[in-house]
Amino acid sequence: MLNLGPIIFGFLIGFIFGTRIKTKPESNIKFPLSSFMLIFLVSLFVAWQIGPYPYYADMPLASGFVTGIIGIIAGKLVWGR
Amino acid sequence: MSTILKILVLPLSLLIMCMGIVTILGGHITPGGGFQGGAMIASGIIFCVIVYGLKDNPLDLSHNFMSAIESIGALLYILLGLAGLVFAGSFLYNIGVDLSNIVPANIQCIFNYPDITYAGIIPYLNIAVGLKVAIGLSVIVITFMQFKPHNKIENE
Repeated sequence: MLNLGPIIFGFLIGFIFGTRIKTKPESNIKFPLSSFMLIFLVSLFVAWQIGPYPYYADMPLASGFVTGIIGIIAGKLVWGR
Repeated sequence: MSTILKILVLPLSLLIMCMGIVTILGGHITPGGGFQGGAMIASGIIFCVIVYGLKDNPLDLSHNFMSAIESIGALLYILLGLAGLVFAGSFLYNIGVDLSNIVPANIQCIFNYPDITYAGIIPYLNIAVGLKVAIGLSVIVITFMQFKPHNKIENE
C-alpha cells in the first residue's frame, strides 16, 4: 500500500520553500535549470541511501525526501522568478 | 565568500531542507519531529543567508512570506486543537484516531494522516510546528543580518 501522507505533505512543504528560490538577474550567482536537474539526481541517490523512512515498506527510497525535492523544484518553476 | 562556497551552498541547503522535511514527516514514529525538522530547514536557510548575504540570497524570504507561514503554522496548531474541543470535548484530542469512540467516523477519516501507522492528527501537529520553527529560527538570523554596525549609523 502506498503511503500518501509523506508524498502529499512532502511535496507541499517543499513547494512552499521552493517558491522563494529566486535568482536575481543583476547577481553574479547563476543557477540554471540544469543545476536543479543535477540536484534532483543527487537527491534521488540520497533518498535511496536513506531507504524507506520511517519504517515504510512501499518504496525502496525515502518518499518524503524525493517529493520534498520535487516540491522545491516545482515551486521554483511555478513561482520562483 | 569564496566561489566554491557560492557554488555548493544552495544545492547543499536544498538537500538539508529535504532532510528536514523527512524528519518532520517521520516525527510521529521516529525520534525527531516538528521542532527538529523545522530547525533543519532553518539551518538550510541560514546557510544560504550567511554565505550569499541578504542581497544576493537565492532563497529570498520576504517579510510577508515569513509572517504568513509562521501565522499559518500557529493557526493550524490551534485549529487542530479546537477541532478536538468541538468534536470530542477536549483541546488537542486526537480525533483522527479516536481512542474513546466519541467522534463520528466521517470526521475521523478527515483528520487521519494517510499512512500505515494511523497516527491521527500528530503528523499534522508536527507539520504546523515545523513550519513555525523553520521560519522562527530563520527570522532571528535574518534580523541580525539586517542590523547595521554602530559606526555606520554614526557616520550617517
